[in-house]
Amino acid sequence: MNGAVETLGLALVIAGCVFYAAGTIGLLRFPDVYSRLHALTKADNQGLLLVCLGLAVLAGSARVAFLLIVVWSVGLVAAAVSAHLIARHARHAGEPHASREAER
Amino acid sequence: MTVGIVVDMMLGLALVALSLRVVTGTALFRDIVLFILFGLLVALSWARLGAPDLALAEAAIGAGLTGALMLMAYRSIGTDTEERPVRRRPAVALVVAVLTGSLVAVIGLAALGIERVPDAAGDAVLEALPGTGLRNAVTGVLLVFRGLDTMLEMAVLLVALLGAWTVLGDARPGRVHRVDRRTPLVGSLLTVVAPITLLVAVHLLLAGTDAPGGAFQAGAVLTGCGVLMVLTGTLRPTAVAGFATRLLVVAGLAAFVLVGAGAGFAGHAPMTLTGTWAVYLIETAMMLSIALTMTLLFARARGLRGEGS
Repeated sequence: MNGAVETLGLALVIAGCVFYAAGTIGLLRFPDVYSRLHALTKADNQGLLLVCLGLAVLAGSARVAFLLIVVWSVGLVAAAVSAHLIARHARHAGEPHASREAER
Repeated sequence: MTVGIVVDMMLGLALVALSLRVVTGTALFRDIVLFILFGLLVALSWARLGAPDLALAEAAIGAGLTGALMLMAYRSIGTDTEERPVRRRPAVALVVAVLTGSLVAVIGLAALGIERVPDAAGDAVLEALPGTGLRNAVTGVLLVFRGLDTMLEMAVLLVALLGAWTVLGDARPGRVHRVDRRTPLVGSLLTVVAPITLLVAVHLLLAGTDAPGGAFQAGAVLTGCGVLMVLTGTLRPTAVAGFATRLLVVAGLAAFVLVGAGAGFAGHAPMTLTGTWAVYLIETAMMLSIALTMTLLFARARGLRGEGS
């Protein structure tokens, strides 16, 4: 494999891991359900995209690249719907909102 | 190579740590979530060990379906209030820990002492595989070389369902906590995911003869679709098992018995599969039986009907 291509693939995967780490830190550190969900879904979707892109570059095959795009899309749908349902449930259950709590 | 070993060690340590947390935890809901995570890591371990068939089965059944069944049970035993503290019996725990620990130690020591037997069953399977028309050794073992075991596994699944039905008694089907399909995004999720799961299930079934996959994995994926449809109210649980339901539930076992007995009457040894068509027939029947049985178990129902019918 070409060295430059390999470096690009690895860089993408590592960048994806950085996004995952950021999402996880957000999940652990943010004050309420809504902002935690925000951190998790946004950062993880981006992380998954970068990891998939990196792996596609490393694999160097159109078939694998297509399958990785499918993996990312399905992950995106699942993350969007589950985050929406959790947020909706939290709102109906009267889960407090950190920024509004602070204003009081 | 060294990176691989580091990953494997982290995986092993995470498995031990997670299993400890699951067993010693006191918050039921968190333990269930950790158990699901444990199943995913086990699936990853099988993948690392080069056993993709087992990885697929573990991810779909061990983590996915068992997790869904546990969460459903958690809901139905009504722990909406405060978490109840778990009562512990240290003496019992000590005895169990010592016994299981010694078992693991004995097996581990025995495994360390084993030398590779040259004429083991695995080599025989790989040699005889081309004669079966199958290219996936796992499917070959499951259906051809150890077909009787697989047939009895289908019988076990059937008995499990009958047991659940007996426990259910005359009770009306359990109220499945479901999300309304008109909730934003949920309907679209179903429209996107249901066809994809069907496609993946059929692909896994057909791929099973040449590559990782097969009836168990396909059935588990199809069950995922069934669970989603039960949760969104597209399929509703009923208290009566219709003829079609009964037929589908025994289809896997029946296909095995009929094909096996047919071979016996046709002059072959009883229970031999006389061609690749028999493998496809049995696998399809097994997939349908597995998917319906698991969905019924999840829905705590004897039958399912479509919305509005």
